[in-house]
Amino acid sequence: MIKVKNLHKSYHGKPVLKGLDFQANKGEIIGVIGKNGAGKSTFLEIIMTLKSYDEGEVNVFGHDLKHLTEQKQQAIRSNISAVLQPTEFYKNLKVVELLRLFKAYYQSDLKIEQIIEDFKLESHKKTYFEKLSGGWKQKVSLAIAFLSNPKLIILDEPTTGLDPHMRNTLWSYIAEYNRKTGGTVILTTHYMDEIEMYCDKVCLINDGKAEVLTTPENILARGYSSINNFYLQNVEAI
Amino acid sequence: MLLTQLKYDLIMFSREIFYLAFSLIIPPVTYIFLGQLFGENTYANGLTYAEVYTPSFILLITFSVIFFAFGFEQVVNRSSGVEKRILLAPVSKKILLVSNILRSIIVTSVGYFFIQMLGIFVYNLPFDYMNFISSYAFFLLLNILLLIFASAIYSFFKEMKSALVFSIVIFQFVMFTGGFALPIEIMPKFVQMIAYLNPLYHMNQLFIAIWNNQLHFDTDTFLSLGYALFLLIISYLIIQRQRKTV
Repeated sequence: MIKVKNLHKSYHGKPVLKGLDFQANKGEIIGVIGKNGAGKSTFLEIIMTLKSYDEGEVNVFGHDLKHLTEQKQQAIRSNISAVLQPTEFYKNLKVVELLRLFKAYYQSDLKIEQIIEDFKLESHKKTYFEKLSGGWKQKVSLAIAFLSNPKLIILDEPTTGLDPHMRNTLWSYIAEYNRKTGGTVILTTHYMDEIEMYCDKVCLINDGKAEVLTTPENILARGYSSINNFYLQNVEAI
Repeated sequence: MLLTQLKYDLIMFSREIFYLAFSLIIPPVTYIFLGQLFGENTYANGLTYAEVYTPSFILLITFSVIFFAFGFEQVVNRSSGVEKRILLAPVSKKILLVSNILRSIIVTSVGYFFIQMLGIFVYNLPFDYMNFISSYAFFLLLNILLLIFASAIYSFFKEMKSALVFSIVIFQFVMFTGGFALPIEIMPKFVQMIAYLNPLYHMNQLFIAIWNNQLHFDTDTFLSLGYALFLLIISYLIIQRQRKTV
């Protein structure tokens, strides 16, 4: 579904990605980890067709991203949804209005009422987006992301700053989406327990490269007591 | 899709007090207030207060709507991450742009008719059908020019705070050097010099002339048109350059 080979990207001459390789298959949940500034968000934005890259091959749904017409780009984007960082939408729209607008963007067949019910948004559906708490903003973002039944969902630190209950709620939605639709989920997180509990694979980005891309079980089988322990031993503190 | 986007763009505009205040409240209030002070005066070419300041305040509203609700809004969306999220959605940039342009035209047209009605009912401004058509057509042209200028200028801003400060300063600058508050001719020499560099001053002079059927193709007119064209080309080049640097 996604194949990345020797990906290079730099900002004003400063290299961020230095030959990154990556692969994701249908139905996988892959957690991308690495320290702040490692290039995780840049990598995800390249996959989402939001950013250009300098060198390498990036293939998403069988399309080479280097040679995309605007129509093809839009076709790819219609199969991708995301929760980005920071989580922001039009602040002056109410939750239900945002859902309607994005339903129109994605030409989704799903009923707004169904999404509101699935994500338990009833109590906040008439609240302006800017008035929502961080957790509710993430919840609405996820609802919008799932609205289109995408083949690929990209979540950039979806649970950062949320309390354990809200984190648990969001993960139950992500897992349920993955189970129901067989869609692929790629996410970044700084919570290593989430990687261990929910992800099929973990990708460690360090010094601009994917140093590790394997299952959490394989990492634990190498003798690490936890993914957190693996991270601390393999990633230098800033 | 275009109608849906336009509907929500208009809803968002109507809910933003900051935009409403600077575009649809302050200019009409100032128009009435200045009219109470200078309503009896006669201006250049024998024009009345209403004949000079009705097109001027329509242009001021157009400027405020486009610079705040179009230009500044772009920076807000860019800096908050909204732009990135919308870009990812499968909606074409053309639809977003056309919707934004239509919103600006609709809102500024409301301002146009509002000020014209005030002029007719408060200052007995005469109404001529043919003149209305030519003025409105020129007003649409001014809309397009200002949309391009705003796109170019605000493409430099990444942070909302700096864009906000710039917007408030530029509003004051335009208000005083565009001939919207007091005639430029009565201002100090250095203000007059600055005014000639202000494109809104030239647009204002042209609009007043067209509104009052007094447009003559003399040196001043060609200078104003040439200056607007020059800025249009510069703005276009800036927009193209900024698009490439993603």
